Amino acid sequence: MGLFSSLIQRKFKNIAGRRYERILKEYKEFLLTEEEMMLPEIKSILMPLDRFIGEIPPEIYETLSAYNDARIILVYIIDAHVFHVIEQTLGKDISEEFRKKEENDGRLLLEKIAKNFEGLGISPQIRLFFGDKGEDVIKLAEKHDMLVLSKAYGSEITKTHPLSPVVLKIVQHVDIPVIVY
Amino acid sequence: MNPEAVAIAVFLLTYALVVSERIHRAVAAMLGASAVLFLKIVPWERVPKYLDLNTLFLLMGMMIIVNTARNSGLFEYVAIKTVKLARGSPIRVLLLFSVVTAIVSSVLDNVTTVLLLTPMLLYISRLMDLNPVPFLLSEIFASNIGGTATLIGDPPNIMIGSAAKLSFNEFLSNMGPIAAVDLIITVLIIYLAYNSALKVSPKKKVMIKQTLRGLDENAAIRDIRLFRKSVAIILFVVALFFFHDKLGIEPAVVALLGASLILLWTREDPEGIFEKIEWPALFFFGGLFIIVGALEETGTIAQVAKWVLNHVHTSGEALLAITWFSAFSSAIVDNIPLTAAMIPLIKHMGTSMDVYPLWWALSLGACLGGNGTAIGASANVVVIGIAEREGIRITFGDFLKVGMVIMIVTVATGVGILWVRYIGW
Repeated sequence: MGLFSSLIQRKFKNIAGRRYERILKEYKEFLLTEEEMMLPEIKSILMPLDRFIGEIPPEIYETLSAYNDARIILVYIIDAHVFHVIEQTLGKDISEEFRKKEENDGRLLLEKIAKNFEGLGISPQIRLFFGDKGEDVIKLAEKHDMLVLSKAYGSEITKTHPLSPVVLKIVQHVDIPVIVY
Repeated sequence: MNPEAVAIAVFLLTYALVVSERIHRAVAAMLGASAVLFLKIVPWERVPKYLDLNTLFLLMGMMIIVNTARNSGLFEYVAIKTVKLARGSPIRVLLLFSVVTAIVSSVLDNVTTVLLLTPMLLYISRLMDLNPVPFLLSEIFASNIGGTATLIGDPPNIMIGSAAKLSFNEFLSNMGPIAAVDLIITVLIIYLAYNSALKVSPKKKVMIKQTLRGLDENAAIRDIRLFRKSVAIILFVVALFFFHDKLGIEPAVVALLGASLILLWTREDPEGIFEKIEWPALFFFGGLFIIVGALEETGTIAQVAKWVLNHVHTSGEALLAITWFSAFSSAIVDNIPLTAAMIPLIKHMGTSMDVYPLWWALSLGACLGGNGTAIGASANVVVIGIAEREGIRITFGDFLKVGMVIMIVTVATGVGILWVRYIGW
């Protein structure tokens, strides 16, 4: 340690030594640690959609468009369990009608959102399949770096229940960063 | 034994100890004061004359207010709010932190201000992945400049205001505009010097924004009632400073009144608050007042004043001499002993010329001179000390290159304004 450096440290200790330690301790209560500040690299973003999600806010498009190198995968999952219940209780014709309608709605929604992304210069991949809205997203999330979810994904929300239980389950089981809008 | 020689020797020795910091500055000042009292250079009954209670109680009152308000998390709240307002833009961080530092420093002491703001500044620099040096330098300069603006902003101003009976409003109207212009110039110089280091990619900016969104300034508030009461008392005290001369009360009384009210209203534990008063700083001031008193007692100050008056004939010449002498001296040595010694000198000069502009010259030089070198002011030492602890090295040379430019430009600007105002074209 040079002459100047040791002089500064002596002066610092005399002027503010212990006060700084106290302040630092107080800041640590609400500032992120070095480890938490490391921003993860985002190469692929999974965005599950369904009939409940409503409109996607413009800030989400803006935020996701900043990840230039990331692929965006839009996934529309039709609840397979609901389909089977309809098939077993109301018959094949009704369930077939339900499937067609769901597939049509899903495709329209996927195309609409994909178009919005294309307007920002991003070409997302789209997928539509039958499955479990919670379990399948948790499984798919393992292969992606970020998950973007509507708080109404998987279930209607109300004033008293502002977060879908499906979303709650997903965020509790995935290890990647999640944006809930 | 020649009392004059002893007084000069004690003063110089204390000064050397304060500069080298081999022993604590408060101990050095107490040692010097004890020596001149023991040798009866300053008779015991004359101690109250030299001990400037206005300065000591003003400092003490403000320390009580700040330490009580600190318990609420008020200053951390301001720091987080500033970071969030900057929204991840390096230029905004530079500008906002400079302005906030200057404003806070004009009311609170510079060391407390930089102690509270530097951790936040380091945090945002890391988040932006940028070199924190321009931000830290800007914070140091802004703190010293902000302190120049008011009677309570910097200890030299408190001492000058007390000795020359200058009001808060007089300080604000004389030094406030200089500080405002100097702050703009300083930020501009830093921006021009470090322009290339103040850039982040749009992608990074979005990520920073997201991280900042997660930062909650309200989480910093530890006690909302104390927070509100602290804000109210600080505003009340600042408002009262504007009227203290009209009410005929000393600034120290305003600070003590504020201190009593905040303790009464908030019911904070007074013992805990009194423990946090920076007693070493108060003993340092007290000791210095007595050491400088010894120089007055022995007639040293009068002789120096006579010598100065033989060489300086007009207020204009004196304005230039005092400003630049105190600026360069403050850049090298502590500005508090310098101010303590210069005050009686200027008072003696009052017999031959109008010294009113000279008080502003002293304030300008003593406060802004501190920007010249890394050891010129306490704020510099604290910020560089914190930076070093966090692995960011600002060498004496690094600081000198920017600091000297800032000091010369800001002091010259201030001298120009004072000249136009008091000496004329």
